[in-house]
Amino acid sequence: MSVPQPVDKSVSIIRTLPRFTLGQRWEHLVLLVSVAGLLITGLPQKYRAAAWSQQFLSTPERLYTIQTIHRIAAALLTLLILYHLGRAIFLMSRRRLPGDMLPTMQDVKDALGMGRYLLFLSKIKPKFGKYNFEQKFTYWFIFFSIGIMTITGFVLWFPITFTRILPGGIIPAAKLAHSTEAVVTGLFIVIWHFYHVHFERLNLSIFTGWLNDKDARAYHPLEFERITGEPAEPSQTGENP
Amino acid sequence: MGKHKAKFPLPFWSLWAVLVFAAGLFIAQPAAAQETSQYCLGCHGNPELNMTLPDGGVLSLNISDDVLHNSIHAQAGIECSACHTDIQTYPHPEIDYGSKRDLSRAYYLTCRRCHSLNYEKTLDSMHAQAAEQGNLNAPICTDCHGAHDVQKPDEPRSRISTTCGQCHSEIIEAYKDSVHGGALIQEDNPDVPVCTDCHGVHNIQDPRTEQFRVAQPDLCARCHADAELMSKYGLPANVYSIYQLSWHGVDVAVYKSRWPTIWHDSAVCSDCHGVHNIRKTSDPASSVNQQNLLGTCQKCHPTAGPNWVGAWTGHHEVSLERTPLVFYTQAFYSSFTPVVLWASIIYVVLQIIRSTVDRVRRSLSK
Repeated sequence: MSVPQPVDKSVSIIRTLPRFTLGQRWEHLVLLVSVAGLLITGLPQKYRAAAWSQQFLSTPERLYTIQTIHRIAAALLTLLILYHLGRAIFLMSRRRLPGDMLPTMQDVKDALGMGRYLLFLSKIKPKFGKYNFEQKFTYWFIFFSIGIMTITGFVLWFPITFTRILPGGIIPAAKLAHSTEAVVTGLFIVIWHFYHVHFERLNLSIFTGWLNDKDARAYHPLEFERITGEPAEPSQTGENP
Repeated sequence: MGKHKAKFPLPFWSLWAVLVFAAGLFIAQPAAAQETSQYCLGCHGNPELNMTLPDGGVLSLNISDDVLHNSIHAQAGIECSACHTDIQTYPHPEIDYGSKRDLSRAYYLTCRRCHSLNYEKTLDSMHAQAAEQGNLNAPICTDCHGAHDVQKPDEPRSRISTTCGQCHSEIIEAYKDSVHGGALIQEDNPDVPVCTDCHGVHNIQDPRTEQFRVAQPDLCARCHADAELMSKYGLPANVYSIYQLSWHGVDVAVYKSRWPTIWHDSAVCSDCHGVHNIRKTSDPASSVNQQNLLGTCQKCHPTAGPNWVGAWTGHHEVSLERTPLVFYTQAFYSSFTPVVLWASIIYVVLQIIRSTVDRVRRSLSK
């Protein structure tokens, strides 16, 4: 695949590589909206002893509205999970589920290699494939977090129904887990995910579906090489260093 | 003249006169009161003495010498005319009261001459409101304190509750059976609450209002959060602080700080423990005894099943024995939370350092 050269120097041609399908992009958008909605309506309930939360809740009716919004967002997230898991199971049954996201031994090696690189013990950054270990960690962390949030959330939504079979102790335990896990996950997204997609580089591929040539070479060289069949290291004819 | 004036100025004389007069009062007053009351009892000591009021009620005019002299007022030397201000001698002025109650309601205002602060407080009370709404049986000073037989109202302490029980007879019966009332009446316990400890004294408020309900846990906490007092009875003093962290407690705290005038249904102490009939939790008749707990929960959670009571951690700290699920959850998060957050922070900071160093190196090598 050859890159067309611009006619004029003031024009640069950016080659983009496919990264996410339309379905995956929609899934991320629904996830973002529902999780943001859940955090915005959930945190004031968790911290309802605090003055800022009471400012937000303002009246008992408003509290009721906020709880309703929280449950609508929760239902939306539940539908998303069912779709996501259902699709994975469907693809698995057809043996067409891509294994890119599954953790492998290579991820452990990459993490150790990255550790050495970050501590200045090595000059070489590990070469990553389609999903690097950071992204896999994000996926699986949020996967299990949402699992905990959903189960405990439904226990808190229908406490009397759940205690028909299960011991009553699950209610306070679910409340503790739901409220702690929410904060841990929220902070994890802000620290880890926001850094990697907003500050390290602005990576909007989950919205656009495409990753540009330069970022693909720098951050996913193995995937770049797999798709283009070219070496990821900038060639002589390549773009500016 | 000028010389004399300078030697004994007028203020000196006045001060001397006042001192002598005051000393005279001190010595003379009890005797004078005795004399006055003896004079009055000359007639009012007659057990037969009475008059018929326009409503047909017979008003006894007899005052027992014993009762009068055992009253705290007589012992303090307060004479009949201190209260009966309109009667100085015989014959008495005509009185114009339709009934005994009319007479009491007119005469009790005389209390205010000395006890004005307490009188003012009663004007703000639930009882005064009842009177304003036309209930003439609403209590006035003398209904609680007595008239000629007035005594210290809190000696013995059980006297207070007995006084309220004169009208609130069902409540006093429930209270007598309660852990508080039982200790008061049987042991003359100095610590248990009597009616006035919770309801106030002269300015008693309606306990059925939103404001009373929302502040109710604080009322119990006055004693039950007092570690010294609770240790005396082997009771934990952290019941209130643990309640404040509970679902119910946080709800109530929000209402208290934001919406104290809006009714809330989140449980306060008395919803589960009872009001006047509070019993020890170990008492099989207690509403919060393990056997009765489900029924108590069902007052608000009517469809709850038997496992539901396990959802209430009680006023206990999280522990492996009592609340294993919460204990393990807490143990998990107490390590999971810092590990995840510190690992993320350290990793991201290292990445920032490394990428900054790389950028600087690249710009230097250019």
